[in-house]
Order: sequence, then structure tokens, then C-alpha cells
Amino acid sequence: MSPVTECLIAFVFGSAVGLLVQRSRFCNTAALRDAIMFKSYRNTKALLVAMMILTMAFTGLMSVGVGHPMDFDVGLNTFIGLFLFGIGMVLAGACTVSTWVKTAEGNIGALWALLFTFIGMFLFSLAWSWNYWPPAPASMTGEPNLPALQLGFANAATLQQKVGVPAIVFGLAQTLVLYAIYRAIRRKEREREAPGEEPAAVQELHAIERG
Amino acid sequence: MQFFRKTLDPVIALSAIAVLEIGLFLLIGAWTVGGGETMMTGLAAQLVLGDDLKRLPFWNLVFPPRGDYWKIYISLGMLFGAFVGAVLSKEFYLRMPRRVSEWALITVGGLLMGVGIRLAFICNVSTFFGMTPEMNLGGYLAISGIVAGAWVGSLIYKKMLEG
Repeated sequence: MSPVTECLIAFVFGSAVGLLVQRSRFCNTAALRDAIMFKSYRNTKALLVAMMILTMAFTGLMSVGVGHPMDFDVGLNTFIGLFLFGIGMVLAGACTVSTWVKTAEGNIGALWALLFTFIGMFLFSLAWSWNYWPPAPASMTGEPNLPALQLGFANAATLQQKVGVPAIVFGLAQTLVLYAIYRAIRRKEREREAPGEEPAAVQELHAIERG
Repeated sequence: MQFFRKTLDPVIALSAIAVLEIGLFLLIGAWTVGGGETMMTGLAAQLVLGDDLKRLPFWNLVFPPRGDYWKIYISLGMLFGAFVGAVLSKEFYLRMPRRVSEWALITVGGLLMGVGIRLAFICNVSTFFGMTPEMNLGGYLAISGIVAGAWVGSLIYKKMLEG
């Protein structure tokens, strides 16, 4: 496929995502923050449902060797990087998706967050150019490299190769775990006085973020 | 049109996105945002620094700037799609944080997100909508990290709200 076709497909997909996220007010930050701070799960449930659909689909496709899974080594940097990201998204009140979506709604704060995300990336490029850690994907081997704090590469397809069980079987197990979490949330919601309604504090916080 | 008058149930929206993403996974790869943003950073830096950018090994070895990188266009598409949605639903208007403390939080938050994405090689989207559904080891490391980070961030945020 030519790069232009890839870019066109990506743009069409992104446009649909932008429209759906804008109309639903879904936010990945809220999916975690509201669950932690207010025990409100409107966004968390949506995230879990999407993950269930994708787990079954991706592992099913990987079972027969089709699709384009991500392929690079992971390690301590993966944990630390997302830890910093998690703090950052709560402080900024937006994640990588909602910064774009809120910017498109005219939110200057989201545009500011996006700008400083870019600046953060550039600052990291300075640090990497000095210490070369974590290793660049081109130099990753797929095997554990403990001096570089890298654990190598493993996914549902490598599990299938090693164990001889189709990847979708592992995918089904993961989907059941996600479903169990989803059910536990639904049970909690039913126990609340006004199920389905977001607590006033959450509504207030979202109103502040929307401006 | 009803679609632009009422807020859509996020479960329906995310289910639709997941179905569309299966097609994207088959054609080019899973949904991701951080990679495209990094490339945009490189292109912007190239515009400002010119050939001096080549002196930084990161932009030679990891992300040589190029405009035909498909991940950029997911972000631009999101901007476009959300703008169309906001205009048609009459939800587009300019707004900005009112307090200095909000600007400070957003600035620090943005910087942490940028550094975090590059350190991990992935963002929150790849974590939840790519690596974990692929059962990649990195997905589990990333989810542990982002949940711990969101918890610490929530504690800080709560303190700020109370203060």
C-alpha cells in the first residue's frame, strides 16, 4: 500500500473517531480519574467494552496470522513512561485523544496541553540523544536485555507459537477478565441510589474542563 | 439531526470505534496517537531548526521527520472530525482556563504526557486500544503504569481542589 493511501485511510479513521468522541464526550482521562476520585464509571465502561471487542478481534486475527500488531521491545521504560503520562493526563485534564477533540471545540487550554506535549517530546529527544535509552526500535532484538532494562517482545501470537494454543484462546480468557471487571462496575452502579447518573462533583469537574 | 442534538452513549461510540479499528488493524495497524504527535514535533522542530536538527541523534535514528507518516493523519482526522461535530452540534466556542493555577497544571501535565509517551514508546491509546488487546507484555506494563500515575495524579488534583 502506498504511503498516500495509508495517510488517507488514517485520516478517514481519525475523522470518524473525532466525531464519535466529540459527540459522546468520551475521555480516557475521565475513565481512570473519575473511577479513582468519584467512583463514577461512565467512561470506564465504554473503555472496557471497546477493549473486549478489540481483544477478541485482534487475537482472532493474530491466530490466523493476519493484521499488523505492534512489534518492539518493552521494559521498565514502558511502566515509567505511562506512569508519568498518567500523572500528566490527570493534571492536564485531557489525554492524547481529548486534547485534539477539545482543541477542535475551541478549548484553548487543550491546545496549550497539546503544545506542551510536543515540547515534552522534544525535551525527551534531547535527553535520548545524550543517553540513548531506551534503545531505538531498530536495535531491539525481541529477547530480554536486562542491562538495558528491556524485557523483550511477547504478544498473543508469540504465545501461540510457544504453547501451540491458538491466540484467540488467550484472547477469550482476557475478555472474560475484562467482562468480570465490567460486571463488578455494573453491580456497584446498581447499588448506588441513582444508577447511571454521574455524581454532582463529576458533572461540575467536566463542566470546568469544557469551559 | 438527532445525532448532533443529543450526547451519544460512550459505550455505543467506543464500540463503533472498536469495529472501525479492526479494519485499520487489518490494513495498516492499530489506532495510535503518540507516534504521529512525535513526528509532528520533529517536523515542527525541523521547520524551526532546519539542518541543525540532524545533530540530534534521536531525529536520525528513532524518528527521522517525514510528512507521509500515516499516524500523523489520525490526529489531523480527529481534529477535523471533532470540529465538524462541534460546529454541527453548536458546541464550538472559544474558551480558556480562567486561573493561573489551571494554566500551570495544564503546562506541567502536557510536559509529563510528552516525556512519558516518548519514554514508553506508546501513549494511552496504544495501551488500551492496541497493545493490551494484542496481549502484548507492554500493554500490561503500560496499564499498571498509567493506573498508578492516574492515582498519583488524582491525589495531587484532589489536594489542589481542596486547597
